[in-house]
Amino acid sequence: MKKNILGIFLLLVAIFVITAIINPKFLNAYNMQNLIKWSSLYAVMSLGVAFVIITGGIDLSIGSVVGLVAVVLSICLKLEGMDPWSAIGLTLVLSLAIGFLHGILITKAKVQPFVVTLCGLLVYRSMGRWFTDNQSIGPIPLEDDAGYANIEQIQGLDFLFSGKIALGSFNLPTPAVFLLVLSLAAAIFLKRTIWGRYLFALGNNEEGTRYSGIDTDRMKILAYVLCSFFAGIAGILFAFELDSVQPAQTGEFYELYAIAAAVLGGCSLRGGEGTVLGVVIAAAVIRLIYNSINMVGISTHLEFGILGLVILLGVIGDEMLKKTVARKQATLKP
Amino acid sequence: MCKWWAHALVTLDRLLSRVLYVMIMKTKYALTCTFLTLSLLFFPGCGGERSSSQSDKPSFAYVTNGIDPFWDLCAAGVRIAEKEFGLDCEVLMPPKGVVDQKRMMEAMLAKGIDGVAVSPIDADNQTSFLNEVGQNTILITQDADAPKSDRLVYIGTNNYKAGRALGKLVKSAIPEGGEVMIFVGRLEQLNARQRRQGVIDELLGRPLQNLDEVKFDSVDSVNLSAEGSKYIIVDTRTDNFDKAKAKSNAEDSMTKYKNLKCMVGLFAYNPPACIDAIKEANKLGEIKVCGFDEQDALLQAIVDGHAHGTISQQPWEYGYESIKMLKSIYEGKQPNKKYFELPFLVVDQSNIKEFWEKKKKMAELGKQG
Repeated sequence: MKKNILGIFLLLVAIFVITAIINPKFLNAYNMQNLIKWSSLYAVMSLGVAFVIITGGIDLSIGSVVGLVAVVLSICLKLEGMDPWSAIGLTLVLSLAIGFLHGILITKAKVQPFVVTLCGLLVYRSMGRWFTDNQSIGPIPLEDDAGYANIEQIQGLDFLFSGKIALGSFNLPTPAVFLLVLSLAAAIFLKRTIWGRYLFALGNNEEGTRYSGIDTDRMKILAYVLCSFFAGIAGILFAFELDSVQPAQTGEFYELYAIAAAVLGGCSLRGGEGTVLGVVIAAAVIRLIYNSINMVGISTHLEFGILGLVILLGVIGDEMLKKTVARKQATLKP
Repeated sequence: MCKWWAHALVTLDRLLSRVLYVMIMKTKYALTCTFLTLSLLFFPGCGGERSSSQSDKPSFAYVTNGIDPFWDLCAAGVRIAEKEFGLDCEVLMPPKGVVDQKRMMEAMLAKGIDGVAVSPIDADNQTSFLNEVGQNTILITQDADAPKSDRLVYIGTNNYKAGRALGKLVKSAIPEGGEVMIFVGRLEQLNARQRRQGVIDELLGRPLQNLDEVKFDSVDSVNLSAEGSKYIIVDTRTDNFDKAKAKSNAEDSMTKYKNLKCMVGLFAYNPPACIDAIKEANKLGEIKVCGFDEQDALLQAIVDGHAHGTISQQPWEYGYESIKMLKSIYEGKQPNKKYFELPFLVVDQSNIKEFWEKKKKMAELGKQG
């Protein structure tokens, strides 16, 4: 059930070319680095939600998980002075646990994914605010913080998660490397392993899959665990990228960007469809639109409007293209 | 009745369809190739240079900390300065906090902007990014400062003094003393904390603090009072810019504190939210409102006598002075001090009419600019 990603790719190229024509500075290295960086950060989350959407589920808690992970990481590194690698480990375990909890509630307690993750959205956001008294916090300790003893290691982490690797005159942001590794792993998992096929099967026909002797509950739990895990990684990346975590705002609404990217990238909300490359391109399209609006000089008030319209037109165009292909296939086959 | 050309058309159609089909089916591979080609194109084509903008005029960006009518009034000042000095100015309002603010400033740098005036959202933790901006263009802060960064100058109201002036307004609203409640968008911003502290210190009769060394009462401290003071600051509630939450905070405070005498709104939308809540509870006049900034609903309430007064930072001055400062630095005149203090204005029944007229005029001028 592979959906074509030609449409979304053409959209990416079209916006890219138009922006470059209107403002050639769009193409300068600095802007390209920024574009790659932001696209990678958002694409990591989008990949995570794609797993869940492929099984026919939904995860609305991604933004809050990003926020909570960023908050917990900052508290551990800055205020508690915890060993930096342990702090990273702790936050990743936290995100895995959140995903596992979602999976258990959805499969064993039979609560709808929408409800479970909506409540998660509220609870994790609130926890982040409560842990910090709703005060801004950053992962990099200042001189009078307990974590300052580990400053060298933390600066190392800062480079790992938000640094730039010099490739000649071009500096590749490290989040892009994370995205590359994660998307390769995700693609291999989805396309080359039996579990990946189970996920697609589950999204296409849950009953049928179960009657084929597949433990669908376990597969669903796996999808939610992966989703939260990816959100957790995104949380760490965002914390180091921004150096500033606002408990009430960091990650707010990111679930919608992630879901939009997954859908624009070819995942069907009905489940059973989706490609890793499509989701990555779609996440890049969304960030590209934001960048283009600034580069072209359109009022920032129009950002959401333009984004909404482009996504809508993108999905409609993609549907039409898909139909055309299907028609051609039908006429050519006999 | 088939004619030869009809056959030819059908054949051509089939041929084209076949080509299209093969093309689309092969897209996966084509995509990979295109990606590689595009990436190859990027690397040599990307110089790192950031020269000045396309037009000959100097270009400046005015970056706010969010979306609010307050910033629209600042934008009016920006437009006036833009016209007066013959510049190219952009006003950027990040809708979602730090992440959008960073993204927008990065785009400005990519565009080769000549100067940026920003209201940093989280000054301490944004320092390294602000320094990066400062290394590439003229950077000044306005409205909220980032003292640890390399910004050349900060243009702003002394929010602590303004807070104390607001405290004086509260005193004149309820000279007999009583319970006071503070409402604010968020206390993560230094200016919000300074304002709040100014109000608290004034009401509790504490000595004037130096702006750089203000000692803050804890965010969640309740029932603050002092010997010799008639005022109790019962609580401070935040709403994270959620206007509905701002109103429900005001409603809840009336439920919780039966003897509440005065509501103090520190962000522009807080006083109107308080007035709304008080109106619906039929307590107009019973609970006084003192505010900050100049939303029409608050100004109307001052005219009607439902609110006591407000402290206006005269936002248009922010926009105007920021751009003027950027221009003068651009022309090589270094500012002789790091802090440029803008005067604030106490608005109450005595001067509300003239003030409102001026506000309308400024907003209108801004639109035309």
